[in-house]
Amino acid sequence: MNNEVILEIRNLNKRFGPTHANKNINFTLKRGEIRGLIGENGSGKSTLLSQIAGIQRYDSGEMYVNGEAYEPHSPLDANKHKISMVMQELGVVGNLSAGVNVFLGRTGQFSKFGIISMKKMNRAAQEQFKKWNLSMPPLNQQTDGMMIESRKMIELARALSVDPDIILLDEVTQSLSLNNRRQLYELINRLKEMGRSVIVITHDIEEMVEITDSITVLRDGEIVGEVKSSETTPDEIRMMMVGREINGDYYRADMTPDYSDEVVLDVKNISVPHEISDVSFQVHAGEILGFCGLSDSGIHSVGKAVYGLSKLSAGSVELKYNGLSIKKPTDALRNNVGYVPKDRDNEALMIHASIKDNFCLPSLGELEGKVWLLNPAKLNKLSNEMTESLSVKCTGIKQTMDALSGGNKQKVNFGRWLAKDLKLLILDCPTRGVDVGVKAYIYQLIKEAKAKNIATILISDELTEVLGMADRLLVMKDGHVTREIRRDEDFTEQSVIGVMI
Amino acid sequence: MKEKLLNMKKKIKISDLVPFIAFIVLFVFFTIVSNGKMLSAYSLKLLLEQSILTIIAGCGVLFVVAQGSIDLTVGVNLALAGVIGTHVATITGIGWLMIPVAMAVGLIMGLINGFVVSKCKVPSFTISIAMLISVRGIVNYIQTVIGTEYIPGDMSFITNSGVKIGAFIVIVAIIAYIFEFTRLGRYSQAIGENETTARFVGIPVSKMKIIVFALSGLMAGVAAIFSLATVGGTSMQMGVFLEMKVAMAIFFGGVLVTGGTSAKFYKVILGSLSITIIVNGLSLIGMSDSQISQSVEGGLLLLILFITIMTSKQRKHSAGKLAAANAAETDGE
Repeated sequence: MNNEVILEIRNLNKRFGPTHANKNINFTLKRGEIRGLIGENGSGKSTLLSQIAGIQRYDSGEMYVNGEAYEPHSPLDANKHKISMVMQELGVVGNLSAGVNVFLGRTGQFSKFGIISMKKMNRAAQEQFKKWNLSMPPLNQQTDGMMIESRKMIELARALSVDPDIILLDEVTQSLSLNNRRQLYELINRLKEMGRSVIVITHDIEEMVEITDSITVLRDGEIVGEVKSSETTPDEIRMMMVGREINGDYYRADMTPDYSDEVVLDVKNISVPHEISDVSFQVHAGEILGFCGLSDSGIHSVGKAVYGLSKLSAGSVELKYNGLSIKKPTDALRNNVGYVPKDRDNEALMIHASIKDNFCLPSLGELEGKVWLLNPAKLNKLSNEMTESLSVKCTGIKQTMDALSGGNKQKVNFGRWLAKDLKLLILDCPTRGVDVGVKAYIYQLIKEAKAKNIATILISDELTEVLGMADRLLVMKDGHVTREIRRDEDFTEQSVIGVMI
Repeated sequence: MKEKLLNMKKKIKISDLVPFIAFIVLFVFFTIVSNGKMLSAYSLKLLLEQSILTIIAGCGVLFVVAQGSIDLTVGVNLALAGVIGTHVATITGIGWLMIPVAMAVGLIMGLINGFVVSKCKVPSFTISIAMLISVRGIVNYIQTVIGTEYIPGDMSFITNSGVKIGAFIVIVAIIAYIFEFTRLGRYSQAIGENETTARFVGIPVSKMKIIVFALSGLMAGVAAIFSLATVGGTSMQMGVFLEMKVAMAIFFGGVLVTGGTSAKFYKVILGSLSITIIVNGLSLIGMSDSQISQSVEGGLLLLILFITIMTSKQRKHSAGKLAAANAAETDGE
């Protein structure tokens, strides 16, 4: 790394109404530096990045790029200064093809007499994917039906296609599974070698310490510290983030599997075409059964299949406590099964509806009284109680979900199942995109569910999470279960990764 | 400062107030320009009587709109149900058969719509348009063959306005209860908010779709009976343009086209009354020429929709704005 400063920010301030989102930010970034930006939800990280990327204007302060005053008034302007950003929330246009999305707003270069050559554009898009070694989705397909991961890759390709000197990555890894994450790390390293600078936001502290050169910690809109990644520990960062020490019990402390013999769920030889084949397992009362694997391993499909969301080509999903088998999601909902999907905003929540509506949705069957009456008082009571017990930060149960932060949205998404009398809980990446505080809280909830004898299936892209929580772990590859490891056996990252790849 | 923000958010959404304001403004405006004629007992009774059909048919359509779909077949379903109902009663000589037959015909038509939308995945707008044309053709054919028929003599009690209004209140109360206080209403809203979410939670989405279209058809059948009670028999004009009036009333009432939790029962009533006020008001002030009044109706609908959409911008997710900002980047290379 040379010492040439590429970006300097002096005394930057940004307010949203009464909220002081960024307070007197002073920040310098060197050429070829990989900088981490970390802080709890609402600490002002994304706001800072979006101002650098020209998406939002700052209220006061100065920015300099290569020593020259820099005041971007649009993402276009930022791109001209060779700065681009990949955003946390999905920024692809659903009904356009992947290829078009890569060159969104810049399709003019492929047109002749106003007609765009899709061939040329797709070829150029393909070059970008190849050049940066990103896994390429089918370029002619609409992005609407694609997995989050593919959509994220398209955004990365778009950001890289302007050949940026500074690239801003806001929570990119949370949507990626292990193999694509590795590709991203390699990409970041390559950018560094090329003398490009990267600013990364991620909630995965271990990951951040590993991939960055230095880390800036934000709290309540202010920079509270800056450390060299080689000289710090995840614990130190956590402490800086919340301003106090976080108690030790983040994951489970014990290393012995501990659950009853009672089988709750019996999955026999299930197959879903192109996703999983011949998967069998059992989950016991009070057990946390972990699933891990690479992106195409089928771990997420297992969750969907168990909840009855996929059409099985073979096999059965049987609930042992009442002998019923799950064929469609209605069967699961009616028989004490809960499911927290991976894609919170698109698959789990009604984002424009109120907290109350979201809390009550899975419990409406239980709340029903005589003549099918859903008593409003009952609904309010449930929502108020849940909001309080989960300490959801909101102005009241009538507030709409889109006003909440990611962590609080996840509290609603997860917590609403706890209002029910569950026997089986399926969790697909339950801590995706939430900060340490909420993360620790969600682990606490999972432990409580375990103590209540609920059988839990924990599917996760974060290996440390599954290793930290599960009694047993099933490793999947190419749609098959390749290995089962118990908590008291060889329960380490190395041994699991060995099987995964 | 934080408290200030809290208070701000606690305030009622402006978009929810638009239909009320629209109703009041329209009412006051027409009262003034008609020199108070609007307030006469006769006018008020007329207002209610003319709204009945729209409200009854709207009761069913509301569930469909809540799910984010649309049912534009209520007008033709009403006509078919009315024609077949009176004909069966006439040829059998059993007067009361008119009521169950009309309701059954409506229900069957609704089930067909629901089945096509839910199982064949045909967009509701498409099937609506197809049915609108083909069923109207069938109704016209039947009517040219059998001619105009009148409600059987022993059923003439339904033309009594006391009976009509009593039945109307009971029906509206039942539907309001189902929409606001049972799972069918909630699930329909959930499907409109996010169909994927509804399915992922475990709501029987396709069943719910069939049920609401069936209900919408059934209500068209009920509306047919009210229509017969008002006119005294069948006519070529039965239910003509009703589907548009109902859709206008629902959107005028402040329900968004996407449905979801913006669908509320009171909005159907309010919207129907507003639409009727416009029509009646225009004729009270002498603009009875239907071409002019229709274009005024259309213009007002546009205005109200515009205000509703503008004031409900808070629903727009900030991600949408960011995505849009990103999409606009580097244009003009």
